[in-house]
Amino acid sequence: MKHKIGKFLLFGALLTYSFVSFIPFFWSISTSFKTESEVFLNHILPQRLNFTAYVHIATKITPTLYRLFFNSLFIAIVVVILHLILGSTAGYAFARLRFPGRDLLFYMVLGTMMIPDQLRVVPVYILLVKMGLISSHPSNFLAIFLIKAVGAADIFLFRQYFLNIPKDLEDAARIDGVGPVQMFTRIMVPNALPIIATVSILTFQGTWNDLFWPSIILQTPNHWTLPFGILEFQGQFQTDWPPMMALVVLATLPILLIYLFAQKFIINMQLGSAVKQ
Amino acid sequence: MTTQTQVAPRPVSRSRHARNLKECLTGWSFIAAPMTLFAVLSFGILVYAVWISRYDWGLLGARKYLGWQNFSDSFKDPVFLRAIRNSLLYAALVVPLQTALGLTLALLVNSKIKGSNFFRATFYFPSMASSAAITTLFILLMTPDGLFNKVLHFFGVNISNLFNQGQWLSDSRTALYSVIMLNAWTTSGTMMLFYLANLQGIDGSYEEVAKTDGANRWQILRYITLPLLKPAHFFVITTGMIGALQLYDQAILAGGADGSPNYSLMTMVLYIYNACFRQFKFGYGAAIGLELFVMIFSLTLAQRFLFGSRAWKGDN
Repeated sequence: MKHKIGKFLLFGALLTYSFVSFIPFFWSISTSFKTESEVFLNHILPQRLNFTAYVHIATKITPTLYRLFFNSLFIAIVVVILHLILGSTAGYAFARLRFPGRDLLFYMVLGTMMIPDQLRVVPVYILLVKMGLISSHPSNFLAIFLIKAVGAADIFLFRQYFLNIPKDLEDAARIDGVGPVQMFTRIMVPNALPIIATVSILTFQGTWNDLFWPSIILQTPNHWTLPFGILEFQGQFQTDWPPMMALVVLATLPILLIYLFAQKFIINMQLGSAVKQ
Repeated sequence: MTTQTQVAPRPVSRSRHARNLKECLTGWSFIAAPMTLFAVLSFGILVYAVWISRYDWGLLGARKYLGWQNFSDSFKDPVFLRAIRNSLLYAALVVPLQTALGLTLALLVNSKIKGSNFFRATFYFPSMASSAAITTLFILLMTPDGLFNKVLHFFGVNISNLFNQGQWLSDSRTALYSVIMLNAWTTSGTMMLFYLANLQGIDGSYEEVAKTDGANRWQILRYITLPLLKPAHFFVITTGMIGALQLYDQAILAGGADGSPNYSLMTMVLYIYNACFRQFKFGYGAAIGLELFVMIFSLTLAQRFLFGSRAWKGDN
């Protein structure tokens, strides 16, 4: 009996905490449908569904919402592709191929994780200026891609995964005369879908949310990403909360969608990668 | 198989030799692009940072060699001292909070309770969402007329009698603590998952033995579970601290580039941002970056020492 009451209290506490965690997100959605004068009445729901805020951000902001969304998506997708290509090939080489210097080089890859971005920012910025990539020209995006092209953590995850693919598979293919490159494209990649999904989701989420590098590298409003746009608009909108919250909702939406569809997968993969680290 | 043994040894070794060479070349070419990027943008850039930090380095014009003056100058600037103090205070408070919260959530969610998958998912989501989005909605919640004060009011708190009149983010006494509250909440989800991963790796037989010896739940937690989580504590606290000392997003969103009000949200990284991108003192900014690196590195080593070398190895 005592045990049951304890369980009930625990359940209640967890439910309350998840409710409290949910309120801020709910509040941003609710506020985005309110009128400006309604915001601080602090009613739970808007008096009626009001799309003014969405119309406002869709038509009246510069850069346009379309631009911000497109930039964020474009950058995130290119970075995901780069991480997949560079991470999987390097991870495969470190896991399955024998060549001189392999282990030393892999330790160097791990070593880069010790260097914080904030230390790199000044020299990287100066280097990018010298390369002519800090400008209002679209080549400005190349600067972001260059910095974000490769992730040590992804190489680590791919290597870990390829180490666990059974040797028999490789041996069978080798007897058939398959070389190392085809081994990668025909045997390894088709067997690596879970890790490809993991790296894609982690990279997409990290890049979509990133504020630090875009706020330093992206020079013209036309290149801003959604998080950077939110930072910049905060000064302008100040008291006009519904459009601000509409932006917040749209910036959270893609992540929320991915999370809703792949929530179990994401939790399990994070659990898995946490053990390995 | 028999056919293979009958083949003369020489051609085999030659073909094996060719295969090994092919494997080497494939290996090197597969890692060439990432290693080049790392060599230039991670290691080379470190040397470049040290080089830059010793100059008066503007965006244009002649550079003047300063030696270590950028470093000594930094400690004479009261704003920088404020930034160090804020960053350290923030880390000192947010790390224990998010660790304790993450550990508690992990222990609760790990017990066989109904809906534990649902709870995991909801507790983790704030860690997934964009810091810009969460901080902006946090600012709305914390404005004097916002929901937070409404809830306080509901519980009988007289807002206008509060020492800060409910101006949580625009009063320099409470701004940093508000951000601490926000980030302890958002980061605890990640910490929960780290603990959860390690909890699931714990052999249940320890607990069984303790139970038959008559240990109660608290004793099991105190003397078995928590000590077994030592590698996880080390990992969570170290990564938490490294992340905390790099506070930037929430500070610039809530306090602007000056870390307003009154520099209460000025952090070391925000200070670097100001030095470089508002005052164009890149040499000075690089020097601060190196100081931050030394700080993070020595605190990580100190923690390794505190936790003992076994915890360090236990991470693998």
